[in-house]
Amino acid sequence: MVNGTNSAAAIAMHGITKLYGELRAVDDFSLDVASGTIFGLLGPNGAGKTTLIRILTTLLRPTSGAAFVEGRNVLTEGKEVRRLIGVVPQENNLDRYLTARENLILHARMHGMAPVDYNPRIDELFELIGLAGRQHDFPDTFSGGMQRRLVVARALVHNPRVLFLDEPTTGLDPQSRRAVWEYIASLKAKMTIFLTTHFMDEADVLCDRILIMDHGRALVDGTAAELKERFAHAHIYEVEFRRNADRYEAMLRNLPYVESAERSGNLFRLTLAGEEALKTLMDELGSADIRKICLREPSLEDVFIALTGRTVRD
Amino acid sequence: MLVLRRSLFSEFLAVVAYPLTLYLAFGVGLKGYIADVEGLPYPVFIAPGLITMTAVNAAFDESAWSMWFHRRVQRTIEEYRVTPITVYDIVVGKILCGFSHGIIKGVVVTGVIFLFTPFRFTLLHLLIYLVFITLGSMIFSCLGTIVGTTINKPENIGRIQAVVIVPLIFMSGIFFPLSSYPAALVPVVKLLPTTAAFDGARQALLHGAFPPGYAANLVITATVVFVLAVAIFNRKMSE
Repeated sequence: MVNGTNSAAAIAMHGITKLYGELRAVDDFSLDVASGTIFGLLGPNGAGKTTLIRILTTLLRPTSGAAFVEGRNVLTEGKEVRRLIGVVPQENNLDRYLTARENLILHARMHGMAPVDYNPRIDELFELIGLAGRQHDFPDTFSGGMQRRLVVARALVHNPRVLFLDEPTTGLDPQSRRAVWEYIASLKAKMTIFLTTHFMDEADVLCDRILIMDHGRALVDGTAAELKERFAHAHIYEVEFRRNADRYEAMLRNLPYVESAERSGNLFRLTLAGEEALKTLMDELGSADIRKICLREPSLEDVFIALTGRTVRD
Repeated sequence: MLVLRRSLFSEFLAVVAYPLTLYLAFGVGLKGYIADVEGLPYPVFIAPGLITMTAVNAAFDESAWSMWFHRRVQRTIEEYRVTPITVYDIVVGKILCGFSHGIIKGVVVTGVIFLFTPFRFTLLHLLIYLVFITLGSMIFSCLGTIVGTTINKPENIGRIQAVVIVPLIFMSGIFFPLSSYPAALVPVVKLLPTTAAFDGARQALLHGAFPPGYAANLVITATVVFVLAVAIFNRKMSE
């Protein structure tokens, strides 16, 4: 169930709908996010995540509904909302004709900051992101991870109260991803963070609260542990065969109590209809060709796939 | 301006090379083959138009390409839009940026033509001329902003320049007097804002004249395209 609304929330949305012609990108979506939370919005491509972020950051007007950031209405108090937020978009939209430092100075000036305020803040941020020695270089000379850190730093120059991160680690190597994670985690005490991601491990590691959405609607909402717990009844087992995997696959796909069977070489991941189905399954398979069988704890990815399906989205 | 300062030398070369080449080719190369035009030596006749062409082209190029690049390639427009500045601040800033490029480059070419050619004018004529170059740069900066806002494929910006901007400029009597047109066509051609900019600029720089019809035409056109540029950008941003 999606949480009810709360006037003290850092972010609140009431009945947000966004239509693009016939397409309902967001459908009567409501949400409250408490201050100081790292909130993760998960969903497949086209689920409506970016549309929601664009509405909350005043880039897009909803067709209907109301949205508030720190109590400010995004429709009628856009300028005030933008003073309070920092935004890290999906793409590194740095100005390649300005140096790294100049990019941050331009951002500070657009927020009306004076040099006496922004210069020490920018120095501090460059130290924090480990780019102090590169601040006079152009962003084109940076790696993807360095550019990403610079975009995050830029969003923090004016000390926002709410930070929006739209897929902050897409396209980064594992080391850079972890560096960005650590950096985001270090901000937690200072601000509310609203992030969208495709990476379940990212959401699992970073987020205090996760909402999975699809087709513009909220599907499930809670902590990572709560979401996994809800799917603990899913009876997911892994069975590995020594031989004759093709024959067993045909058999497994015809058993009425096997709800799904995923094959990876000789290893099958089975979702059974119930606990009692395990004994029946073992009777059917026998023990001659089985190398191992074990119960699998559901991961956040299992939850995600169970809710949003396997079909690849554009 | 910071970015312009960084590439000052290459910008200077690019700005000066084109009008100076045209001046040398038409003004010097063809001088012996072309009699005086409206009582003026041909190089003198074309010089004001070349300066105006540099200014308005620079204004258009800067606005169109800068807007397109910041919107489609760098996506920095989106970064600006999540700060407290408004959509109006962004579009007016872009228009003023193109306008400044036009004025600065027009003045640079004026200086170069003054230094390296026998073309001469008085300070008063120059001041009147600035009215036309200013309005012309504003109009073309707004047009560039509209093109950079509405067009997504870069090759189409080049096509607009080739099919609309260049013909408009060349039809405005930059290389020939308006009296060359059939008499019935002259009033129509005189209504073109480009004619107002180019012929008005020539009359200002060469004779110190201030044609009020041309000036009014430019003020009205500048106002209309400014409002259009702002409205179109605002609409595009709300899509």
